[in-house]
Amino acid sequence: MTAQLPYDHETELEHVLERCNAARQAPLPAKDALPEGFSGLLGHFPVYFPEEIAHAAGLLPVNVLGGGNRLEMKHADARMGSFVCSICRSTAELGLNGSLAGLAGFVTHPICDAAKHLAGIWSRNFPEQLSQILYLPQNVNTPGAVRYIAAEYQRLRAELEKATGRRVEDEALRASIRLYNHNRALLRELYAVRRDEPWKLSCIESSLLTRARTRMPCEEHTALLGRALDAVRHRALRAQDKPRVVFVGGFCEQPPVEMLETLDDNCYVVDDDLLIGLRWLSADVPETGDPIWALAESYVERSAASPVQHDARKSKEGYLMAMLREARADAAILTAAKFCEPGLDDQLAWSKHLDEAGIPYLVLEFEEKMTSFEQMAMQVETFAESLLFALA
Amino acid sequence: MKYVAGVDVGSTQTKAVILDEHRAIVGRALLDMETSMTTVAQDAFRAALEAAGIAEGDVAWVAGTGYGRYKVTFGREQVTEISCHARGAVTLFPLTRTVIDVGGQDTKAISVAPDGKVLNFTMNDKCAAGTGRFLGAASFALEMPLSELGPLALKATNPVRITTTCTVFAESEIISHLSKGLLPEDVLMGVHQAIASRCVSLARRVGIASEVTFTGGVSRNVAMVRLLEEQLEMPVNVSQDAHFCGALGAALYAHERVHGAQPALAA
Amino acid sequence: MNTVAEKMPPAPAAAGFDPRVEGQRLIRQWYAELEQASELGQPVANVFVMGNAVEILRAFDFKLVFPEINSLQTGVRKASEEYIRLSEDYGMSPDVCSYVKADVGLILKEHRHPAGRIPKAHLAVASNMCNTFIKWAEIWERWLKTPTFVLDLPGQRSAGWQVRPGDAQHAADARWVEAQFQELIARCEAITGRKLDLERLAEIEERVNRMVLHWNNVMVLNRVCPAPYNAMLDGLTFIGIMNVYRGAPEGVEFMRTLEEHLKAKVARGEGRVAEERFRLLFSGTPCYVSMRRLVELFETWGGVFAYSDYLTFAAGGMDAAELLYDTSRPLESLAEVTALAAQRGLSNQFFAHERLARQIRDYGADGVVFHGIKSCRFVSSGMADTREYLNRRLEVPTLYIESDLIDPRYWSDAQIKNRVDAFFEALGQRGGAAPARGAAEAQRRSA
Repeated sequence: MTAQLPYDHETELEHVLERCNAARQAPLPAKDALPEGFSGLLGHFPVYFPEEIAHAAGLLPVNVLGGGNRLEMKHADARMGSFVCSICRSTAELGLNGSLAGLAGFVTHPICDAAKHLAGIWSRNFPEQLSQILYLPQNVNTPGAVRYIAAEYQRLRAELEKATGRRVEDEALRASIRLYNHNRALLRELYAVRRDEPWKLSCIESSLLTRARTRMPCEEHTALLGRALDAVRHRALRAQDKPRVVFVGGFCEQPPVEMLETLDDNCYVVDDDLLIGLRWLSADVPETGDPIWALAESYVERSAASPVQHDARKSKEGYLMAMLREARADAAILTAAKFCEPGLDDQLAWSKHLDEAGIPYLVLEFEEKMTSFEQMAMQVETFAESLLFALA
Repeated sequence: MKYVAGVDVGSTQTKAVILDEHRAIVGRALLDMETSMTTVAQDAFRAALEAAGIAEGDVAWVAGTGYGRYKVTFGREQVTEISCHARGAVTLFPLTRTVIDVGGQDTKAISVAPDGKVLNFTMNDKCAAGTGRFLGAASFALEMPLSELGPLALKATNPVRITTTCTVFAESEIISHLSKGLLPEDVLMGVHQAIASRCVSLARRVGIASEVTFTGGVSRNVAMVRLLEEQLEMPVNVSQDAHFCGALGAALYAHERVHGAQPALAA
Repeated sequence: MNTVAEKMPPAPAAAGFDPRVEGQRLIRQWYAELEQASELGQPVANVFVMGNAVEILRAFDFKLVFPEINSLQTGVRKASEEYIRLSEDYGMSPDVCSYVKADVGLILKEHRHPAGRIPKAHLAVASNMCNTFIKWAEIWERWLKTPTFVLDLPGQRSAGWQVRPGDAQHAADARWVEAQFQELIARCEAITGRKLDLERLAEIEERVNRMVLHWNNVMVLNRVCPAPYNAMLDGLTFIGIMNVYRGAPEGVEFMRTLEEHLKAKVARGEGRVAEERFRLLFSGTPCYVSMRRLVELFETWGGVFAYSDYLTFAAGGMDAAELLYDTSRPLESLAEVTALAAQRGLSNQFFAHERLARQIRDYGADGVVFHGIKSCRFVSSGMADTREYLNRRLEVPTLYIESDLIDPRYWSDAQIKNRVDAFFEALGQRGGAAPARGAAEAQRRSA
């Protein structure tokens, strides 16, 4: 780059990404160092959680996304069998080693049986924290599902009111909904860039940008996203000869950044379901009317799909095929976390379906704690080679 | 004359192959990994040049492959070992449609097109049950070199069923069988059967089509060859040159760069 | 609403009743009926043992297939490995539930089961009590095009969860369950071309009530010393009948006779083992390929499983709900009991420490045995932590062993025997009051 622009886009993006990365790695803020307007932190396990309710209660929602590949396991190995997935084990470890002591509470979901057990582990070991399962329904198709979810959200709201000693007013909830609507709209723009000009935004950059919302107020994150999108759009990068792939893994457990780097090195990842819980609501939540009902109704009517949510309207094959089509992808990279039953089941379903549809795909196994990527790099490279040979 | 070369930098050995314009092997070399990856790649290449009696300047294109393929800094391109193994296997056995490669660290099953291109492939997951590491555990427990395991296993008359699929537990299971007085050959055959069935299971995921070519270090194990044939219910190709398969495949990719696509070679 | 305390009229005990022989006969009869279902054009439904609305399905005369029982039966009949391997060859991961894999093997073998041919289902009901049920049903949905109904039962939300019949939370949860039952009924009506007969439903519920009463008494009978049956061997037969014949006349008759049979045994002071030295709780699921062997490892030391949480959660959890159906309002009551059972008897597995402490007291347990199953995260994920929690608070020795439901490759006899022996050595060192207690109890009863 030669011309001196009013500001340098690459530098700007770098700053934003640095802030995001720092947020990802930072310890939880101490009680006296909470962002303004918040009286505490509420931990929540993936996949989806109605952050608006915590936000309106003055609790900063902190998505507990496991321990990555640098966490030393000192306690959890004795508390959870070796057959339990990494994110559940590392979440227990983060609790037991004191890293999550600053949480006012921890909410998990009936996405799988191991995740439900985290609530028991929490209540046995950290009785001072509010430990809850938010029972989001696995049947969203029967009339009455919205009413049930609304009741469950009201229950959560009451629990948080009790924990904070402060009422959560409808108006505060509506304000939070507005903030999160804006934020989700920007995330959709981010993914549009990935689809339309993937050379301008890598999968790893996009995931870092998205993930930052799990550790900072939505307001701050929205501002960062705005800056990042502006910088990305001005990026003067050119398309390379790489295959376009969709990357799916029913992500609850997060793949290590090195894995995403490997994908970026060889492919354009034009769509993915990373951090799908943060993007679960696919259109704006109504900003008028009863806010709890609006959130509950959005969960049923305007939402994404995942291996951990049964929905008769959305077959697993169907939504993968839609992703491939809408992103104009050449192929799919399918993965599942080691020991993740829902992920492993759907990975097989996807691969059988892609076999029938004649769409090339690659299956990778991952774990958040993995540290060796040579074998994976070789497989991804071979796959990209074979795609380029075939496309040539 | 336009020569080409392929260099396969593996985790324990580095192999180099030089082809002439007719795709005939004119030189090759195999070095154990002793020094740095970059030097060993360079050394293997030089040794192959020497064997062929040509100079570095005679080689128009070098392709690198294997885990250390990016260490082949003098190479013009890097191709993964899966692509190279597929290409190499089809060259050694032109009717190959499935390659089962069992190495010390991992196992691959590759489905290949008649021209040697990869159609589909799969590798073992983190679990090492179907790889050479499982044999390593047996070798350790029996205090016996790897090369003697296969011949001894073939002497089995009453193979033991090894139930564990975990390499870590395999060793203790083997020891517990031996301490009960079971014959080493019967225990060993059980170990081989366990590996073979995992390999076949892996290969089924890419679809097994005749002919099957068996490559990698474990392909030199006679018991494994026999068990694969039994379980696949078909003969399996094995070559003494199997360990050069990757380097040969890389050299063929290099040849394609220089001379363009060629029809498949007859054996 | 009726309460558990209500007494049923006494009936004579069947002389020469052998629960195991009779249980096996009934299971054979069930498989034989399944084989005929397609021929007779009967509707067939796949259901699971936790949260299954069997009462509704039975009111429509659905023949019930329990895929979990099919899978465990491949284990009992030593055929599971073949089925599991078939599914792994097909591409199923070694890390998923072996019940699911055996069932996929069954599909690949064109529904040929060691017990007979399993008919194709017209409907599958999967609850969220074990999330794997849903993933399992999705396999049928995509592969066999089986219409699937996911029954969402709100579970226990937190530790110390106090939900009482009729309170606001229970009412809200029951209303959601009832809404789903309404839809399920509409689906059943469409499949069978028949309207739901509420009287029929009430009749079935009445039978379930009687079964549950007998069942609860059977559980209580094992609180005496010596225990008349082994919860993890004899109990497995009982639970099979409880599930397969839930709401059927044969089920009522079996449970009634069983109770009489066990009462007589207790009156005679007859225990499951010749000399009962230790009373144990078993937490987890069985390993059906080696259960006889596992129980033998314990019984040779005089250790008997007096109770197992398996007998509660794998029997639908209704015994823990302490409620019976109010047959004057069969549908509403079904929803109310289902919602309560889901919280008190099924999803309380995630907070297992709360009930284990109580059950140790109720059954006079000398120790707790945890059986972790690699592929069953429902029972196993919190087990080691629960054990640690109990160790810190109670003076009760615990043992943790690991194998699988039906995959023989995960049964390591030497390792398990070693741990069991060490456990009993430790129990023995704590003093051997148990035999004396057993003798005293026998004397008291005969007096």
